[in-house]
Amino acid sequence: MTGAGLQAVKYLDKITVFHRLDPRTKILLSIGYACMIVILDSPLNLFLLFLATFACFLAMGPSVSYIKAALKIMAIAFLATMISQGFFYYFEPRTPLLVLLNKDSGPIGRFTGGISLYKEGLTYGMIQSMRLFSATLISMVVVMSTYPSDLVLGLKKLGIPEKIGFMLTVSIRFLPVLTEEAKRIMIAQRLRGLRLKGMRGNFKGFRYLIIPLIIDSLRQARRIALAAEVRGYTGKRTEVRELKFTRLDCALLLAAIVILGAAIKYRFSL
Amino acid sequence: MIEIRGLTYSYPEADNPALENISLDIREGELVLLIGPTGSGKSTFLYCLNGLIPHIFAGDIRGEIRVNGFSPKETSVADMAKNVGTVFQNPESQIFMLRIEDDVAFGCENLMMPREDVIARRDTAMMDMGLVDVRHESTQTLSGGMKQRLAISSIYAMGPKVFLFDEPTADLDVKGRSEFIEIVSKLKRRGHTILVAEHRYEDLLPFANKIIAFDKGQIFRGVKAVNPFNQEMKQKTCDMDTTLEVELKDVTFSYDKKGGRKVLEGINIAVKKGELVAVCGDNGSGKTTLLKIMAGVLRSDNGSVRVSGCDNPRIEDVVGKVGFLFQNPDEQLFNDSVEEELMFGPRQLEKNIDVEQYLGKTNLAEARKRHPQSLSRGQRQLLAVFSVLAMEPQVVLLDEPTTGLDDESWHNLFGILRELSNSGKTVLFTTHHEKAKKYADRLITIDRGRVAGSEISR
Repeated sequence: MTGAGLQAVKYLDKITVFHRLDPRTKILLSIGYACMIVILDSPLNLFLLFLATFACFLAMGPSVSYIKAALKIMAIAFLATMISQGFFYYFEPRTPLLVLLNKDSGPIGRFTGGISLYKEGLTYGMIQSMRLFSATLISMVVVMSTYPSDLVLGLKKLGIPEKIGFMLTVSIRFLPVLTEEAKRIMIAQRLRGLRLKGMRGNFKGFRYLIIPLIIDSLRQARRIALAAEVRGYTGKRTEVRELKFTRLDCALLLAAIVILGAAIKYRFSL
Repeated sequence: MIEIRGLTYSYPEADNPALENISLDIREGELVLLIGPTGSGKSTFLYCLNGLIPHIFAGDIRGEIRVNGFSPKETSVADMAKNVGTVFQNPESQIFMLRIEDDVAFGCENLMMPREDVIARRDTAMMDMGLVDVRHESTQTLSGGMKQRLAISSIYAMGPKVFLFDEPTADLDVKGRSEFIEIVSKLKRRGHTILVAEHRYEDLLPFANKIIAFDKGQIFRGVKAVNPFNQEMKQKTCDMDTTLEVELKDVTFSYDKKGGRKVLEGINIAVKKGELVAVCGDNGSGKTTLLKIMAGVLRSDNGSVRVSGCDNPRIEDVVGKVGFLFQNPDEQLFNDSVEEELMFGPRQLEKNIDVEQYLGKTNLAEARKRHPQSLSRGQRQLLAVFSVLAMEPQVVLLDEPTTGLDDESWHNLFGILRELSNSGKTVLFTTHHEKAKKYADRLITIDRGRVAGSEISR
């Protein structure tokens, strides 16, 4: 599966420009970026934004196989979105490029009102996939360049309550433990002769997986809670790790504001 | 340092008290061993000292407790934590942060100490506990022994005078255990008062000032430590069959197929029908991998594997012939009742079994309709074993079957394994307990992926 190559979206221990940024800057930039994706609406502008994001992604220095896997997935998703949007575009005006089935031909034609590929649909598909890819890539850049606990710390400094931050940290910490456990349960099922075939088999396997997984997680949660109690966790704490805003952070944030402002002005022709 | 007068405690809705009329004194700097079977009240006793009882576990508590002058009943758990540090059995669930140095600071941060204080305490703790070299590393990839060291360090940084250890080495291998003993002796030298609840305490005896034996919530003092393992084990009763049931020739295995580190290398092992074999070695030596290859869970890179007449098996080839038991029983109990759990495997194989017979063997006939996960730990382990045995395999493989078992369940388990071997089944189990090795006919030692020795036991 192509997905296997992309499974490991995780922190890369390197030194790049993005690693040097304050997590808060990265969070704020991501928010600004999300606004940009919505504000820009021409395929060309979005494509330029996508190219810029892809350059950032490459600057992270991912492995060649990783880039290949990413490109492959994007190509498939791009085609799928274009084609589906092309056929199922329902806004007027729409210009048919290719008519597969006329609306007077037979019962299917009458029922569906004809099937054709619309030019506007293709454009819309292009815009949507560019938006999707840009959003995915930028979050990958953030995840790959920020140590997970620093990201949580950044969120906390930006006003997320301590308890929610702690829940996030604990989730990041125990997610791998949970996936390992799920793998072992699935092997245990196979060792007891469970053969999973087709949808029904998967459904059955899921039922046998989810119960032990939940019960064991509850046991684990109880142990974790006791360990947190004896470490004096009450939800109020001093934070040893500090974040530093550098001149680079300020410059980038300033630039982001200017670009965002320009984009808003351009889009709404203020 | 610790004074207790007439302590009686019952869990909510329990019929009998978990602790009954306990009075004792522990002086500063003493190391006290708490021994006794599972459910005898050792952990409950520790929870009364650190305030988890009654602040987290409700229930009825009577009597007087003073720890370093504080009464846990009237002090919050967080405030008690400044005086009493608690380390639990499972190292995994005591680590919260992703970086080692952050986790050492975690407790101090919670106590709202000033930032400079936290940093000083964190750095001293890492120095004293030998974590300085790995301070920036991730907490996820540590060995069990290192995880427990980290858990202790994070408590140590909070600066408690008293340390409570609740079965701290049950999940550790020999190396992790000796690391633990080194840490405890250091803490004792520094004048800390230490209470350790443990099943296996022989190597702690030289440091112990007192041993307190718990039984059904009561304590017996001045008990002479008895070694529970000098009872005679049943010896082999039938002649050895000479057919080879498991045969590995020149087996090599690595998880990373692109020239990564070899987990197993050049393994040659032959096990006869009816043999009971202990596979020993430290964590990471490759002993679990070896068993997984035999069960078809993993497939060897090179060499030949022949198990119960199957060459280089996949799981599906040997299901029913080879039974495999993971360390944690809870990951193998996925049905809604004890009865269904036992019948699950045979049903998949379309085999008819006499479920009554197995219910009898597990002593769970009365609990047949109960949910497997609602049983006690010992019962769950037994049920997991028998739901594998119900498939009537020729070869039974068990990965660390003794984890978390008390002496009684431990004896039960090896009684069953011996019986299996006597009836001609081949049994292999991995272990890192010295004592478990006594029960086997043969020991195979794995060291860094190679067979380091194979000797007939006794």
